[in-house]
Amino acid sequence: MCGTCGCSDPSNNVTLTNVESGDSIVVREGGLVPPGSQAHPHESGGHRDQHHHHEGDDKPHVHGPNGEVISLEQAVLSKNDTIAAQNRGWFEGREVLALNLVSSPGAGKTTLLEATIKAASFANDLAVIEGDQMTTNDADRIKAAGARAVQINTGAGCHLEADMVAEAVKSLQLKSGALLFIENVGNLVCPSMFDLGEKMKIAVISVTEGEDKPLKYPHMFRASSCVVVNKIDIAEAVEFDEALCRENIAQVNPEARIISVSAKSGDGMSEWLGFLQEHYSDFRQLAE
Amino acid sequence: MHELGLSRSIAAIVSENANGRAVKRVCVAIGPLACVEQRSLLFCWDLVTESTGLSGAVLEFVDADGDTFVIKEFEFEQETA
Repeated sequence: MCGTCGCSDPSNNVTLTNVESGDSIVVREGGLVPPGSQAHPHESGGHRDQHHHHEGDDKPHVHGPNGEVISLEQAVLSKNDTIAAQNRGWFEGREVLALNLVSSPGAGKTTLLEATIKAASFANDLAVIEGDQMTTNDADRIKAAGARAVQINTGAGCHLEADMVAEAVKSLQLKSGALLFIENVGNLVCPSMFDLGEKMKIAVISVTEGEDKPLKYPHMFRASSCVVVNKIDIAEAVEFDEALCRENIAQVNPEARIISVSAKSGDGMSEWLGFLQEHYSDFRQLAE
Repeated sequence: MHELGLSRSIAAIVSENANGRAVKRVCVAIGPLACVEQRSLLFCWDLVTESTGLSGAVLEFVDADGDTFVIKEFEFEQETA
């Protein structure tokens, strides 16, 4: 898999670009070796004398018949989840409503955001964290639409992770009461697993993708509190059955709010903006 | 697709806890709703552990409920002293 698609290329760094200042920093080094593991080479003999020293080490361990067995019971995503929880606390403390937008590539997340930025006058401050593998095209579009944006380029990565969002938020200098959109990398699989600290995930699906997308990628639609059905203005031309699509969404996630819009023509945008405003006000009241 | 990053997370957590000692096996519990593909994870595991302190460590799986995705335990290589 990774050997052929190139995502194991060590030159793939995760970078963060502030399109206001043009500054770009490396958030995470590319390459396959996990951080820290190189710091533990097999020293010849040296470490063998140390390993029975357990001072200050309260990790549970038992001695088995072969080697020593260490019981961990640690969630694989615990590091991401810890940083996500910190982000969530940071957002709540500053009354920042953070929304994680997920979809397949080309569903119209950026176009929806452009239209939203122009109309969401209820928010004190509006900013977008853009996630893409390459280019600052989306952040440039957001900036042109009138909001502040930072671009995260994940290089090999197929999704955003909580530490990238934490880093991006630092460079945005959000005001209290900001509405923050996190536009995830276009991918209906991986982003569902990674909590970023957002208030909710919002899935965007476009009519050209077919009514059965929610059934084919149930995890993402199950993880989302709201599903926006975009490009509804061309539904007829592509023979999109809206009722069937709504049924399919309800089948995997009966709780999801479904809003049909066309970010381009403006159809349904008032319902979408109403939904945002409602959550924005509720969130700010809760935070007070 | 994300199994590369997941393998890196597992390797990072085990490396931290192994503190430089050679590891023989790592046991991970995966639930049916965890969205984790075992074969991809194995493939990536070999890639990420190659020429690190975890090189040669075997990745094992046990079934679990729901969306569980937890490193259960790991075992050190037996002493040769």
